[in-house]
Amino acid sequence: MDVILNQYYLQIAIFVLLNAILGVSIYLTLATGQLSLGNAGFMSIGAYTCAILTVKAGLPIYLGIPIGGIAASFISIIIGFPALRLTGIYLAIATLGFGEVVRVIVLNLKVTNGALGISGIPTLGAKIGKALSALGFPHGVGGLTAQQTSNLMVLVVLLLCLSFLIFFCTRLNRSRVGRAFAAIKADESAAEAMGINTTYYKLLAFALGALIAGIAGGLSAHLTFFIGPKDFAYNRTVEILTFAVLGGSDLIIGPIVGALLLTLLPELLRSASEYRLMIYGALMVAMMAFRPQGLISEETVRFWKRKLGRGMKQ
Amino acid sequence: MTLVLDQVSKSFGGLAALGNVSFTVNGGEIVGIIGPNGAGKTTLFNLITGIFPPSSGKISYKGKNLLGIRPYKVTSLGLARTFQNIRLFGHMSPLDNVMVGAHCRTKAGVWKGLWRTPTQRKEEKRTRERAQALLQLVGVENDSDTPAGSLPYGQQRRLEIARALATEPEIILLDEPAAGMNESETEDLRLLIKKIQMMGKTVILIEHDMNLVMNVCDRLVVINFGQKIAEGTPAEIQKNPLVIEAYLGREEA
Repeated sequence: MDVILNQYYLQIAIFVLLNAILGVSIYLTLATGQLSLGNAGFMSIGAYTCAILTVKAGLPIYLGIPIGGIAASFISIIIGFPALRLTGIYLAIATLGFGEVVRVIVLNLKVTNGALGISGIPTLGAKIGKALSALGFPHGVGGLTAQQTSNLMVLVVLLLCLSFLIFFCTRLNRSRVGRAFAAIKADESAAEAMGINTTYYKLLAFALGALIAGIAGGLSAHLTFFIGPKDFAYNRTVEILTFAVLGGSDLIIGPIVGALLLTLLPELLRSASEYRLMIYGALMVAMMAFRPQGLISEETVRFWKRKLGRGMKQ
Repeated sequence: MTLVLDQVSKSFGGLAALGNVSFTVNGGEIVGIIGPNGAGKTTLFNLITGIFPPSSGKISYKGKNLLGIRPYKVTSLGLARTFQNIRLFGHMSPLDNVMVGAHCRTKAGVWKGLWRTPTQRKEEKRTRERAQALLQLVGVENDSDTPAGSLPYGQQRRLEIARALATEPEIILLDEPAAGMNESETEDLRLLIKKIQMMGKTVILIEHDMNLVMNVCDRLVVINFGQKIAEGTPAEIQKNPLVIEAYLGREEA
């Protein structure tokens, strides 16, 4: 048990789940076919709002995180109105610019502590540990140490968040709103001609993506106890996007698998750490060349369904 | 008089695509718009459905001005269209394509879709049943394993009609629905258009297949080089010297 539940594995599992949540955020914006590179910016807004509220104003974490998400989503609606008039590569550039603007603002504000960042953020694990000892379990539950228990609890919280998001997205996909998203992704002007208010639904997808990125930001602030402007820079955006590039963005499971692989890969490649970025780059180029739709597409699912269906009949 | 076009013009830069075209469409009619390639027929559809605004002139529907109204609102007012170059949502199932068409007649938002409230479920069920009925009407099989983009060409054209009908239009604008169809398919299409008329809908039809146009339309509007050159019943149009000239050229004296 101790081997499986060692601190290192738990930590990796936590980051896998956090990145999977970020994968869902990029999936939602991509659901209407918009390439937005602003997710790290929204994550930053969520993380800072939440950290400032909990550290400086003493708000509880369970309020701070949703407020951070709502703040990110609110900002996304404001910038979404002008930005969503752009499409394709132009939208990508505009949202990339937005991410940089957020970074520079955070770097120069007093309340965000500039380049020093905010430290001493109460971690979720510590809070849960405290709650456990208050409940009369100062030494953990069921033979586990206090730290293992609280880390496991964090894992459960994240898993619940991710499960809810998957539930949300699958329900959405099979509803009127999801069909509108898919129609816009397939052919925006045909969707408009079929009576869909494309501006509204594009903005909705953008704001939902920002909400989830903001919540993920708040979660990340309370997982690492320190946040700085560098955490949400350009490479973070690219990292989030690569989840979708690797896993595929047709289905919700795509970016989640992408997040899983791309979070585990650096750990597996630790022995070859000098070549890590090269391997990453090669992987991306290979994906573009051989499987631009990502590892998992609708076609993949159809193929396996047919194959497994036939296997069962035999 | 349901749809009125009054002195409608459109130019793209220096190119005059349409000049002072006026005509009216009455409720329950099948009106054909014909003319040689590049005459401006599709431009006319794009103006009516609000894809782009006319350079001058007025378009009104039931006394309501259609100028400056975005395409999705024009559709919810009761005008739906199909496209000359098929524009289905290719990777979606035929049924989903038709269900998208019902978007502007349904209401459920994110919240109701998430929790599948009783009203949402009822609405979803009704939308699905209506979509299935429309697929049956146009004769496209409800096969969820075949994406719309993989259907045979003629079926795709009919699916577009079903999708447009799902918006519950009063006027349906068909842009070359018979293009690429063989004779028996075109005959089926003629029956379908008649059926749509019997459902109480008005049909505006752009078509090159003269056999179909002459057989199905109550009235024809002929456009050449962006100008309306004739209007009348199919029999009148067939005898009109200007139309004959536009299609066949002038005989040298």
